[in-house]
Amino acid sequence: MIQVIGLHKALGDENVLCGIDLVVPEGGTLVVLGRSGSGKSVLLKHLVGLFQPDAGRVLVNGEDISGLKERQLGPIRKRVGILFQSGALFDSMSVGENLAFPLRESGMLDPELIQERVAEALGMVDLAGEEDKMPENLSGGMRKRVGLARTLVSRPACILYDEPTTGLDPIATDSINRLIRRLQKRLKSTSVVVTHDMKTAFHTADRIAFLHEGRIYFEGTVEELRASEDPILVNFIEGRSGESD
Amino acid sequence: MFHVIFHAFGGIILRLLRYVGQLAFLAMETFESIRVAPLRWRLLLNQVAEIGFRSQLVVVVTGAFTGAVFTAQTYFQFHRLGMDSAVGAVVAVSMFRELGPVLTALMLSGRVGASIAAEIGTMKVTEQIEALRALGVHPIDYLIVPRVLALLISTPLLVAECIGLGIGAGYLVATKVLGVSRAYYMTNMLSFTTGRDIKMALIKGMAFAALIGFIACEEGLKTANGAAGVGRAPTQAVVIASLVILISNFFLSFFLNIFFPAGSY
Repeated sequence: MIQVIGLHKALGDENVLCGIDLVVPEGGTLVVLGRSGSGKSVLLKHLVGLFQPDAGRVLVNGEDISGLKERQLGPIRKRVGILFQSGALFDSMSVGENLAFPLRESGMLDPELIQERVAEALGMVDLAGEEDKMPENLSGGMRKRVGLARTLVSRPACILYDEPTTGLDPIATDSINRLIRRLQKRLKSTSVVVTHDMKTAFHTADRIAFLHEGRIYFEGTVEELRASEDPILVNFIEGRSGESD
Repeated sequence: MFHVIFHAFGGIILRLLRYVGQLAFLAMETFESIRVAPLRWRLLLNQVAEIGFRSQLVVVVTGAFTGAVFTAQTYFQFHRLGMDSAVGAVVAVSMFRELGPVLTALMLSGRVGASIAAEIGTMKVTEQIEALRALGVHPIDYLIVPRVLALLISTPLLVAECIGLGIGAGYLVATKVLGVSRAYYMTNMLSFTTGRDIKMALIKGMAFAALIGFIACEEGLKTANGAAGVGRAPTQAVVIASLVILISNFFLSFFLNIFFPAGSY
């Protein structure tokens, strides 16, 4: 379980997060919605210690990770995987090497076992047999899938998705959404999906949190969000800017 | 008017102090990593090959031609005073104490410093460094330690190569082209060059290696603003490292001369 308590974060002069309280239940999927630049990715990166809060706490399975040093965060990061917006593949390594990297770093030395785990992870994201390709030869959707496979290969208990469908065409978006849902059913892992894509949100969420002006403006189920008549939520769901032509 | 000048000067001093602090912090983290984290030997060997082995051509050419032209210029001046035989001693001591370490360091800051800053900078803006951290790998262990150690291992060897080629080329120019007596040239060179000169060259080489490594890594790590930032990082690394090498060389020369005085006495 992940718990965020009174999280504050400023970047430069701007207060990005102003007192976030959030609970991600074990085995559930929480989607964090919000406009671009609302601080969704900043919130997500706090959950794995990539950002340190100015105030507040982040608890992962009851352990407070805020204030931990980089070396102390290593074991926690092996339990909480993150898929970056761009995939963040190591461009000097092939797909197979990218996937083998976290296994080797965690001390796995048997090449056959590594190969087996890499093939298994690539199979989960429907990219079996693509080990030898270089990241530069992959499409945007494939990069995200390989990034997801690299996250899955360590079998983390919790997976964080940072804008998993941004920049993808509708078919690739649908494919990634179904993949996330399939993985949730298969792995039963706790998931946090940060997105501004309503299709992704409705497809993957057990619960939805809406981030607005640095605070959690709404939290509830998909049905509760759909039923809401709050103008800010309605405008966001229907994609209305409120500006005239 | 005075207020504006004072303000501008104060701003420069503050920025300089902040930068020195950042370098010191990076150095501290690097030495802490060397102490507590297992060394990645394969990465270190790759970096020694990239930084040391592949820099040889530029260092060899720089050393040889600088030695040759320095010998010729020294000869043209000394010949008028009838001091032809002293040329070897001047060239050798200069190559050991100043030209070898400084020229090698300047060449490395251009070839290696720029490449380190660009590589780390690209990894920074494409989230690859965050990905390393997210996978539980400390970027200092994985990126900085192998590069800084490779520089510390390779630079003194490259300095020695540069000095050797410089002195060798100087010897050939003096004895084969300018007609200086081989026996006098060698005798004077050997009698004025001591182990202290070699120690000074190697210590300077190590100091410059650390400066190039930390400056290039720091510039790479603080890269921001996408492609423009990646373009700026190597330029900054080369300019800052070159200036720091030249300025610190002045102070190092005075400081090291206390422990390793020049001359054969």
